[in-house]
Amino acid sequence: MNSGKSLQMRGGYNVNLAGRPNGVIETLPEPSRLVIPLKSARLSFTEIAVSDGESVSCGQILATDPACFSLPLLASRGGQVRLNEVEGHIVIDSLEVCPSGLVEAAESLDHVAETYTAPKDRSAKIGKLIELGAWHNLRDAHTGKVPDPEVEPQAVIVSTVRSEPFRCRGDVLLRERVNEFMRGLEHIQSLLEYQPIYLLMPPSVSPLAKDIREKLRGHAYINLVLLNTKYPNYNFRLLTRSLGQKPEAEKRVWGIGVQGVLAVERALTHGLPCVNRVVSLGGPGVALPTNLRAAAGYPLDELLDSRLSVSSPRVINGGVLTGERVGEDVKGLDVECDSLTVLSNETERTFLAFVRPGFGKRSYSKTFMSSFRGKFTEGLTTALNGELRPCVSCGLCEDVCPAGIMPYLIHRFLYRDGLEDAEEARVDLCVGCGLCSYVCPSKIDLRQQLLDAQVALEELHAEEVPE
Amino acid sequence: MKFLLDIMEKFRPLFREGGAFARMAPVYDATEAIFFAPDETAHTAPHVRDPLDLKRFMSMVILAVAPCALIGIHHFGLRVIAMIIVSYAAGGTVEVLVAMIRKEPINEGFLVTGLLFPLILPPGLPLWMVGVGVAFGVLVGKEVFGGTGRNVFNPALVGRCFLLMAYPSYMSSGWIIPGTGLMGRALEWVDTSVADAISSATPLVLMKNSLTDPSVIPETVRNLFLGNTAGCVGATSALAILLGGVFLIIVGVASWRTTVGIFGSFIILGAILHWVYPAKFAPLTLQLFSGGLFFGAFFMATDPVTSPMTKCGQLVYGILIGTLTLLIRGLSGYPEGMMFAILLGNTSAYIFDKIAISSKLRKLADER
Repeated sequence: MNSGKSLQMRGGYNVNLAGRPNGVIETLPEPSRLVIPLKSARLSFTEIAVSDGESVSCGQILATDPACFSLPLLASRGGQVRLNEVEGHIVIDSLEVCPSGLVEAAESLDHVAETYTAPKDRSAKIGKLIELGAWHNLRDAHTGKVPDPEVEPQAVIVSTVRSEPFRCRGDVLLRERVNEFMRGLEHIQSLLEYQPIYLLMPPSVSPLAKDIREKLRGHAYINLVLLNTKYPNYNFRLLTRSLGQKPEAEKRVWGIGVQGVLAVERALTHGLPCVNRVVSLGGPGVALPTNLRAAAGYPLDELLDSRLSVSSPRVINGGVLTGERVGEDVKGLDVECDSLTVLSNETERTFLAFVRPGFGKRSYSKTFMSSFRGKFTEGLTTALNGELRPCVSCGLCEDVCPAGIMPYLIHRFLYRDGLEDAEEARVDLCVGCGLCSYVCPSKIDLRQQLLDAQVALEELHAEEVPE
Repeated sequence: MKFLLDIMEKFRPLFREGGAFARMAPVYDATEAIFFAPDETAHTAPHVRDPLDLKRFMSMVILAVAPCALIGIHHFGLRVIAMIIVSYAAGGTVEVLVAMIRKEPINEGFLVTGLLFPLILPPGLPLWMVGVGVAFGVLVGKEVFGGTGRNVFNPALVGRCFLLMAYPSYMSSGWIIPGTGLMGRALEWVDTSVADAISSATPLVLMKNSLTDPSVIPETVRNLFLGNTAGCVGATSALAILLGGVFLIIVGVASWRTTVGIFGSFIILGAILHWVYPAKFAPLTLQLFSGGLFFGAFFMATDPVTSPMTKCGQLVYGILIGTLTLLIRGLSGYPEGMMFAILLGNTSAYIFDKIAISSKLRKLADER
């Protein structure tokens, strides 16, 4: 069995939020229609490839993103295209009936499967991954962007854990799919020459973990690395640093999750498009937190309506620490979404909160009596829990920072418009995990400030180096 | 408490733009903030936030200082309560006025300054001086720098320093013999007009003039540790300070590095200097428990705003304060050096930070 090497990381903290999705993947009933957003976190499909009223089949290209290697947006079901019905979305109605209710079985995708011959060389494989909508599952570990298909990576990091509450769990995805997962890893290896693949796993002794380790025998190119699940240990950017990978312009590091590996396997073994995603639905605002297998474009109202348990919900695309609020104008699941977290917006105006012992309030600091309690989960709301105040240099943000930078210092620099000083203080190392904002007693939006500074610096440098 | 919230909400429009008391908005907001947690939500990720806020952060200090205040009342009588009230009222007025002019919210930091300030004064000081001192401290020590979080010097110490310069005779007299027994002077009003309560000098003044009788040292040390001695209102009992100070370090509000730096340097240097130069430097045990060393080391020097932000800087800062205290006590005209040492430490905090930060950034330079 591959015993693996252990990795130590600094900082970090686990927010014990209530509403952790269970270990089941529920298959959603077929929707009445699909509302596919043209925008997702990293992609923006502006070049529409179909016309209004056109009939499309499952897996057909609807639009592409010209700014991002022309990655395609696929029709996740066959049906009739409506372009102007919902702004910013492509609607597909009169959906073709899928025999098993989901696009799992190859026979439901005759047009793809019949013409499919497994690609042999690297560029054909990459072309296939792009065409079948699997490429965006890869990310540049350093920038988080979609990696350039032309550039060969110097290493690939496969992370089986998303430790942020509540991103899709690797163990749930892997259950009964271990063989596919291993095959996916082989496919990824075939895209490389000799570069290493790092497989990150928690030091777990579960049968699943044992099974994977057993199967790693004979895969010498896969380096097993053990890492505890404290947030944000499984952040790709932090991992490149801890693994000693220093990305250069023409040598990037790829990061990919379990869902991505399975999508690669699906695309390269079966030639099937990546049209269904497993989305975890969790948080204190969800009645029964679970995982859902749903097509991209599944209408959010149909998905959420019967599942929420709070009157004033905030739906977050992603985890509670880094996710983006799902706006009113977003009507369907986007192609990159792997989790929806629901919090309540209803804040309780506690009387004299600051003098209460706080047995039930878990805090990073030790100023609550809950420090004497063991681990417990909490139904947190979106409450800021305090007033915005100037920084008092308490140092909590530095303690918790996994990147080893000093958020308070950068905040001070930025407060007086010292962008260059912020650069010197290595604002670029920030991975945007959000823990500094979480712990700040002065409720300063450190994460946003640091990320904004990164963008401002990128723009500044782009101006300095004319093409 | 719904009814109170309803009342507050009813009056809110009066304090908003166009209302009759629009200028008093900071006062309303501060009142509301004290009673009720805000209903604001996080706008951007992270969408959940830690329950710790600045109010709780500051209330930890108040909780930690409470034993000292109680011992102060026990030793020096009801007048201490009056001093605390005057301090809060005068300092609070300055704080409110500045907030109104600046149109900024009132900061919680004042709740700490207002309590710490009377505790570092002689118990017999005229009440109006308490008011003047705290007003100066808050205005010049904090507000002119931009308010809580931006001040260079500890506001309470600035106020005390001002009083020491402006009214040296009052600041070096006004000592009262502490009450003993279960109730002490807790139900008495004692000021300098009560002749038999006046103490001529604090242990440090006696030390300064080499008047300490070597045979009574063990007893003096015991009295100093328990607080049974003349001195500043809240700074007499090392035991009470230790209790609150250790609490503050455990909850993480104060940095142990500063305190360890102060005591470490003080003890080592104090032992050496007493051995080398006993005429100027009193025995270490006596030095250690007298004056403001304990109070300063746990409550004043550890103020996160005016001490260095970096861990390494905090340690050096502590060492500087401990050393300076000892040197000022032994070699200057003043019997006590803690206040000056901390203020000088505040001045150098920036330099220590600068050095520590640049070395830290050098380590990060190769990271990508």
